[in-house]
Amino acid sequence: MKLIKDRKKAQSYLEFLYILPFILLVAVFSYYPLYGWVYAFFDYKPPFPLTMDKFVGFKWFISMVDNSIKVNQLLKVLRNTFAISGLSLMFSWFPMVFAIFLNEIKSRPYRKFVQTVTTLPNFISWVLVYSIAFSILNSTGAVNTVLMSLGLIDTPKMFLQSSEHVWFRMWLWLTWKNAGWAAIMYIAAISAIDEEMNEAARIDGASKLQIIWHVTLPSLMPTYFVLVMLNLANFLSNGMEQFFVFQNAFNKEYIQVLDLYVYNLAMGGGGYSLSVAISILKSIVSVLLLCLTNSFSKLVRGEGFL
Amino acid sequence: MKLKKLVSLLLLAALLTALFTGCKGTTDSGATSTPDTSVTTPSDSTDSSGSGGKSYDKTLTFDIYDVAANYQGMQSGWFRKVVNDRFNIELNIIAPQVAGEAIYHTRASTGNLGDIVILENADFADCVKTGLVKDITNEIKNCPNLMDYKEQIDVYNKNLPDNDAGKIYGIPCQMTNTSPTSYSQDVVYSSPLLRWDLYSELGCPDIANLDELLDVLAAMKEAHPTNKDGDPAYPFSLWPDWDGGDGMMGIANVVQLTTWYGEKIKESLILKPDNTFTTVLDKNAAYYKITKFLNNAYRRGLVDPDSGTQNWDSACAKMTAGQVYLMWYSWQVGFWNTQDRLREGTAFIYIPVKDQLYYADSDTYYGSGRVFGVGSMVDDEKYQRIMDFLDWYASPEGLTFAHNGIEGFNYTVGADGKFTLINDNALMDNLPVPEEWGGAGYQDGNNAINQWIVDAISINPNTGEPYSNQYWSTYKQATMTQMKREWAEKFGAAEPVEYMKKNNVLIVSPNVSVSIPGDTPDISVIRSQCGDTLNDYTWRMIFANDDAAFDAMWDEMTAQMNGYGFDKLVEYDTERFTIELEAKKAAMN
Repeated sequence: MKLIKDRKKAQSYLEFLYILPFILLVAVFSYYPLYGWVYAFFDYKPPFPLTMDKFVGFKWFISMVDNSIKVNQLLKVLRNTFAISGLSLMFSWFPMVFAIFLNEIKSRPYRKFVQTVTTLPNFISWVLVYSIAFSILNSTGAVNTVLMSLGLIDTPKMFLQSSEHVWFRMWLWLTWKNAGWAAIMYIAAISAIDEEMNEAARIDGASKLQIIWHVTLPSLMPTYFVLVMLNLANFLSNGMEQFFVFQNAFNKEYIQVLDLYVYNLAMGGGGYSLSVAISILKSIVSVLLLCLTNSFSKLVRGEGFL
Repeated sequence: MKLKKLVSLLLLAALLTALFTGCKGTTDSGATSTPDTSVTTPSDSTDSSGSGGKSYDKTLTFDIYDVAANYQGMQSGWFRKVVNDRFNIELNIIAPQVAGEAIYHTRASTGNLGDIVILENADFADCVKTGLVKDITNEIKNCPNLMDYKEQIDVYNKNLPDNDAGKIYGIPCQMTNTSPTSYSQDVVYSSPLLRWDLYSELGCPDIANLDELLDVLAAMKEAHPTNKDGDPAYPFSLWPDWDGGDGMMGIANVVQLTTWYGEKIKESLILKPDNTFTTVLDKNAAYYKITKFLNNAYRRGLVDPDSGTQNWDSACAKMTAGQVYLMWYSWQVGFWNTQDRLREGTAFIYIPVKDQLYYADSDTYYGSGRVFGVGSMVDDEKYQRIMDFLDWYASPEGLTFAHNGIEGFNYTVGADGKFTLINDNALMDNLPVPEEWGGAGYQDGNNAINQWIVDAISINPNTGEPYSNQYWSTYKQATMTQMKREWAEKFGAAEPVEYMKKNNVLIVSPNVSVSIPGDTPDISVIRSQCGDTLNDYTWRMIFANDDAAFDAMWDEMTAQMNGYGFDKLVEYDTERFTIELEAKKAAMN
């Protein structure tokens, strides 16, 4: 009896080894870097190594909110982050609807063509996207040339330099780049819908739109919710590449999101310690947001996703 | 199953071969050129480097951490061949301008920045303190060419913090063999440069001040709204990607122009002609004046609307295409002026604005602000080779290669020993280099270190003329064109600097060697935040639609920068730059 139990135990230890590589990976790439957080508590300046006499406690955290100007700056950055993330959350149904409509296209070559054309931009780097944007939208670019030859404007319009509708324009670029890619998930989910349901609806006399509304959409909802939840947890990290390439003196007030702010501060000016302090706060808020959405999900759907 | 395994094994093998042959490319070319190297090495190295019959059997690779480089990777082409023939070395350039500032941080924390380091003064002092740089006191004595600059090297090193013993760590860059107060250039670094053809078309009007300069530019734009190809031309085409560099707060296109009124920006301060400091936020100082000037230009439709969003490459392309009517950097004319255009009279040249007073830094006798050093981790063999190389790099032969290129390709030597420039578009058009010099394009093989121990304005003892080809007597003869004669007649001087000296509108600030402390972490945060604010607002002010909006933005900016702690920054900078100012005052007396 005891022998069997021991063997079982030994077996379970052995089975533990299966996940060991993954634990190691997570430890090395996700937990070890947290060691870098110590920089937030020191006066750090390369090339001098960290020594205890440079320990400053919470100085950098406090300096973030020293006076109203600094608080305002931080609030502005947070406002931009929330606005841009909020906008993409608000329109998060867009790829789903796109996928549904795409699926309704009967001509297969045409459907494939549309899908390829919309997926391709996902593989273009943001730097290239900006050079495309610059060559189309600059003062002698295609858009201005067309508008001027049509007589709609008489001086070139500075699209990239304007500080109006920055968030919306950023969302448009993001959607242009990502919609096709994001739709792939939904296209897969649509093809997994039981064909019998569609047939049954059709026999019952449902129109095309009714089928979409009563069969396709409800079947896609679980996928949609999971993706939305994951996005919510990432609310504060809307990435920096896009905003980094599009930023200029004129739109910075609206385009500087948290990640970009941290980058500009550390890499632009050597404010490593303050940057680390800000990213620590960001991580803490992100964890809070994740817990919040999880309990919200529990409340609404009766189950969490953690 | 077996088949699958076989296929995957084959694929793996193919992948690995591809990987290794891919890497081998460079080693291969190195190996093929070695035979002829071994033939030339003995004779070449003995009679040219002056290091006297040393054997360089083993190929060494120098890692060069180089803040001046804008190319990262192995040196290739003709310059590689030059150094490889002499020292059997390969140069591996590590360029923070390419790799990003973070590489400094990473490499410094491993304790090995590079075998040779080229750093800004303040960083160099930090690296000496942390032991990243080797003490070269004993070995530098055996370097005859470097010892020609012993005075400057000693002065620099004595000024390093905590170095009362006077040990030698660094070799300043771009030292000259002239004097700390002399000014040898013909053209100051920044002055208004106009197209001579467009200016004489208007009847060469006298220009009294910036407003009249705008009048002239507006007339030029009206007469020539496009270049020859029909693309729109503007007097001003600005670019934002150099902002905040060169130890000056503010946008690059404004900070240089402040020197037109004798005011030089030193980080957050402005050094005025009367040798006092004020801040960049002073409404009576030149930063405000020049920003306002550019704003006026914008309101008169003279500024390229893409200025705030284009990068340097786009701006540069417009200069080359003749879409720009005002230039202000002395080197900027290189994108337009050629010997042909000087002959046609369509080249850019300095046109005096009567109320201006130009600031210029004198010859960089004590160095330009960067330093060469040797990494503390090099072994003895490499150390010796590095010192031999650096000594050669400061020798007339090394300097001729670095500043003038290849004999017979970039210049010819006349019977009197003077050089004559040939193929003057070698760099611009990347002309192919003869096979005996390693082939490839000239620009591809150009010296990637991009920094010199001795400045090009120094006198080459072999010719008695400066290394810089613009100052060769043969070049001056060749470019003494109709246009230049007309210019000289109108302004009564042979060269712009001569005109400025004659009319007493040139302030030459002497070159001194002082060690200015670097930023503390607190100050660097304030500097970064204030600098970004200043840059962003300046751009928006240039594009402001009226005076009220302009001034409202200026006040808003002042309030914001004060909130970030601008006062502390000014206090800190005043303390630092007073050290330099005192030394300059002493040098002038």
